Amino acid sequence: MPERYAVLPCNGLDKAVGPLAREIALMVVEACQGELICPVLYNNLPAHYAKALELPLIVVDGCGTRCASKLATEHDLKARRKLQVAETLKELGESAGEALTPDPERLALCRRLAERLLAAPAEGATLYTEAAFAEPVEYATVTHDKFIFHIPMQGYLFNENHCWARVVGSRARVGISDYMQQELGDLTFCELPQVGAEMGQFDAVGSVESVKAVSDIISPVSGRVVAVNPAVAETPEIINEDPYVRGWVAELELRDLESDRALLLDGEAYLALVRQKAADYRP
Amino acid sequence: MAESANSKVLVIPCSGIGKVHGLMAREATYRVVEDLDPGASDTLCLALLVKGDEEAVTAVRTRPCITIDGCPKLCSYKNVQLAGGTIAESVRVVDAFKGHKGARPGTATELAEDGWTITDEIAQQIAARVREMCGGEEQ
Repeated sequence: MPERYAVLPCNGLDKAVGPLAREIALMVVEACQGELICPVLYNNLPAHYAKALELPLIVVDGCGTRCASKLATEHDLKARRKLQVAETLKELGESAGEALTPDPERLALCRRLAERLLAAPAEGATLYTEAAFAEPVEYATVTHDKFIFHIPMQGYLFNENHCWARVVGSRARVGISDYMQQELGDLTFCELPQVGAEMGQFDAVGSVESVKAVSDIISPVSGRVVAVNPAVAETPEIINEDPYVRGWVAELELRDLESDRALLLDGEAYLALVRQKAADYRP
Repeated sequence: MAESANSKVLVIPCSGIGKVHGLMAREATYRVVEDLDPGASDTLCLALLVKGDEEAVTAVRTRPCITIDGCPKLCSYKNVQLAGGTIAESVRVVDAFKGHKGARPGTATELAEDGWTITDEIAQQIAARVREMCGGEEQ
């Protein structure tokens, strides 16, 4: 029996992809004997699901509007797993069809997606990472003279080398912080790791070069590199423009997050570090 | 003749997830907008409305709405009302059971024969109301 989850799907009604999200949610609940969260009722009456939400959460969105994810964010719910059906179908080269009532072929597809969502972390993670990593980030800022440093307060872990890891399920994307990219200035080169490479915590997962300096990107987490971001190798200034989302460097399948975490800073602690650094900042 | 998309009656079920009555609300909606009155009716995702989607809010404020609720929490009715929508008719699935004592509708994931029978009745009732509303507009 897989671990029990609370499953929060979107309403899944008026686009063909919506009913698929709903079917997947129901299948997941059935398979793990979990708890289903009605999104509209949860929005109106969150206390109704207080007990159910003691379980780890899976969020299932149908279309790109991502109502379920928005709802989870608004209520400060942390999803352990996520599935954005439209995007996943696109990745798989599948179609949601036109009909609002899924045919047997689509139901079989839903069954496969539900099984994968509950399957081994590595496989499940591939289903939701793209959408989850693309979610908007809220920043705190530290201002020093004309410089403003952004620090994401939720969902990111940092090391004192000014590199971050954004963890989603069993995976993490890593990159450099806003402070580090401003300290380096305009980036001219970004070296990526090899997919498949095993990384220890604090290994160099790549490097960045600017007119001022070359700096290793020190991985906050251990794991196997499962993806790299070719966009930053081709256009390193993406890291200058958006270091925390589009500027990710590598994606790792995590090896031992709990141990790694003991040596990392959360947003609050990193904010304090940047405040301290900013006081001495000389661009 | 088919109505234009922006004048269709909106049939809005509750989320319809996790309970058989909710599933019936959803299936009745699909029956109306896909089979019985596709030219005069349309549906709208309640979660969009709840999340304040502008297009959805405008739609319920400018088009006649029929809400269908599975359980007594009346999520559809309340949320359409809260968004300032014009509710022409509020349908409750539980009311349709009054004429079907002892009916076994099925489960939250699959309707049984009784469930489909009652769902069909609800759909016919809504479709009749949709036609009545469209007829009224044409006069």
